[in-house]
Amino acid sequence: MVSLVCASCGTAAQDGSKFCEQCGSPLTPPVAVPPAAAEPAVRSCRACGGQIADDGYCQDCGTPAATERDHWSEAPSVTLGGVCDRGVRHDKNEDAMALGLAGDAAVLVVCDGVSSVPDSDIASLAAARAARDVLVEGIPEGNSGTARVSAWSALLVRAADAANRAIMTAVGDMAVRHDPPSCTFVAAVVDGPHVVAGWLGDSRVYWLPDSGDPIQLSSDDSGANELMALGLPRAKAESSPQAHAITRWLGPDATDVVPRTAPTRAQGPGWVLVCSDGLWNYCSEAAAMADLLRTSQSVAGSAPDAIAAELVRWANQQGGADNITAALHRIDVVPGTTTVDTVDS
Amino acid sequence: MAEFHTEVFQNEFLSEGATDVHAIVTVTSTGAGTAGAASATGTVAEIVMVDTSGSMQGPNIDAAKYAAQVAVDQISDGTWFAIIGGSHVAQRAFPYPNAPVAIVQMEPGARREAKRAISLMSPSGGTAMSTWLRLADQVFSHVPQATQRHAILLTDGKNESEPRAELSNAIRDVTGRFQCDARGVGAKWEVAELREIASALLGTVDLIANPADIAEDFRQLVQASMSKGVADAELRVWAPQGAQVLFVRRVAPTVEDLTARRTEVNALTGAYPTGAWGDESRDYHVAVRVPSKPVGSEQLAARVQIAVGGQVLTSALVKARWSDDDSLTARISPEVAHYTGQVELASAIQEGLAAKAAGDTATATVKLGRAVQLAQETGNDEATSRLRRVVDIDDEEKGTVRLKRDAAKLDEMALDTASTKTTRVRR
Repeated sequence: MVSLVCASCGTAAQDGSKFCEQCGSPLTPPVAVPPAAAEPAVRSCRACGGQIADDGYCQDCGTPAATERDHWSEAPSVTLGGVCDRGVRHDKNEDAMALGLAGDAAVLVVCDGVSSVPDSDIASLAAARAARDVLVEGIPEGNSGTARVSAWSALLVRAADAANRAIMTAVGDMAVRHDPPSCTFVAAVVDGPHVVAGWLGDSRVYWLPDSGDPIQLSSDDSGANELMALGLPRAKAESSPQAHAITRWLGPDATDVVPRTAPTRAQGPGWVLVCSDGLWNYCSEAAAMADLLRTSQSVAGSAPDAIAAELVRWANQQGGADNITAALHRIDVVPGTTTVDTVDS
Repeated sequence: MAEFHTEVFQNEFLSEGATDVHAIVTVTSTGAGTAGAASATGTVAEIVMVDTSGSMQGPNIDAAKYAAQVAVDQISDGTWFAIIGGSHVAQRAFPYPNAPVAIVQMEPGARREAKRAISLMSPSGGTAMSTWLRLADQVFSHVPQATQRHAILLTDGKNESEPRAELSNAIRDVTGRFQCDARGVGAKWEVAELREIASALLGTVDLIANPADIAEDFRQLVQASMSKGVADAELRVWAPQGAQVLFVRRVAPTVEDLTARRTEVNALTGAYPTGAWGDESRDYHVAVRVPSKPVGSEQLAARVQIAVGGQVLTSALVKARWSDDDSLTARISPEVAHYTGQVELASAIQEGLAAKAAGDTATATVKLGRAVQLAQETGNDEATSRLRRVVDIDDEEKGTVRLKRDAAKLDEMALDTASTKTTRVRR
């Protein structure tokens, strides 16, 4: 415990005092300097691995340094990791990602700021983090799978609500703007073999098992889906002008912020992928996504953040037309099944 | 302590597939102080080389001697200095040839004695400028502590007492050892010879038509030299891995291609000499070819830096951003366009005059016509008025001209000498 000294008169303060005994000035505890600020880490270039110079560009290849907001990765555990990236064409990264652990359960949240609306990057980051924080705090009790799944589903609804309120706080006066900052919401909780997805908008959750049929767990709240509901084939619907108009979202002008939820039970080992349209636009079908994941895994190895980085790199190579987020969780051991031994066979 | 600032003028937007990035970098130094302050510590040296060949006989030698004395008056106390008389051989005029030292520091007694030594110079013999340059280099070598070395060379004639290659060899050997301004008096000297000296030795070349004007010119040259407080700055250009530096040119106040003067700092960075700096501003045109990137990408194409004593003092960033917006990519930076025109103007004048001298009237007419057009486009009125003395202009905009039959040799030389002088962009 560092003892305080009054900033006004220099008198040593007694432990626990809020004001100086000598002059009555308020005592401000020393602000903890985050280690990153104390010693600026040598940043490395995301294109070539070279060192970023003080002017913000790589010393070797001249690629601009990605700011923390433009590109970051998270890896809360060896089975959970993700990458959030600005992509090539957009000036800002309006995607956001927040990963966490709720006991043994993994929490994956992705929000995609509506790019036609300024400052949506603020909304998406506030939303993703608020939702994650709700989900990691509220570990359901009981061992019954059904009970846990319904508890998680309810928690996802609460998380979306918390995310929406976090946006309100973060955007302040911008809330009353004609086009206030807003974003999509998608979250997946992986609790043992149970995967519970919740979403508003067109960011997605895929279940990509090592063997068996890959599926998209979420169902886009989008113009494309409405067109498909009307009978248009997927390819045609997804390339239509309204395809990317989302029909539900989070933000000050959202009318319905209750996410749809969908639980599923893994029958064997595989990957849960939560991603924004910056990735799935290049690879929409679940089967194609499973193939892409396998290819990425053969390049990047088994660490989820490394595979996610490879998925992002691939999407950038396809043109990087939008912000790209990919978050992965590995389900390895599935209790009560016998398929575990066949992993990587 | 001198401060350097840089400013970049470019259009950073490139269309899809484009690779070449052009930028004008303006480098400005402030607080460079004066060499006078440094001269007290003996870090500045000045040598005046005066042509004493037989052709100088008459008003030229008198004017040259007077000018050398004026120069001596301008050299600050504490500055190392020497006077060299040059013909087909070079001889030290001051310190006297029999003196025990080759170069002395200026003080009132030395100033008085140097002026007396100059008054004793008399013309005879031929012209071999390589010997002048080599003697100057040898004299400078006695004061290694003098890091800021400047010389003035004055001649009235061709380098006729030795093979041309001798001069080029000497220039190559002394390059980087000292800076030199070269002056020709009258109309019998060779512009190309003095330009080669001044260009390699980071100085200027000029014609003095009237011997009476030499003194004023010398006074200005020495004053300028004495007001340079930064001995030696280098321009550094960093280009990313896989890129190619197409060229590096100084484009203001005069055109000088520095591309071939590159020395390697590291694999990605080259250094180009710029010589001494006073409080002044210069423009550089840097062109870099980078591998094309997808639309939307950004890339640093060059860092253009000024380094003194190995220390980088300022760094300018030249960028590339690929875009599919034609309204962004089609625009040419007015500064880049202006200097591209001025560089073409310089070569059109030089090539036109060379063709005229070789009797190729057709080529001369086309080139000088183009020069008239470029001078008009880039607003270089001085060039236009010098061109008017050599050609009759029928249509300035189209560049239609006729060679003047009775153009004076002096006017042609004046046009040639001044061809590399540029005007700055009107902002």
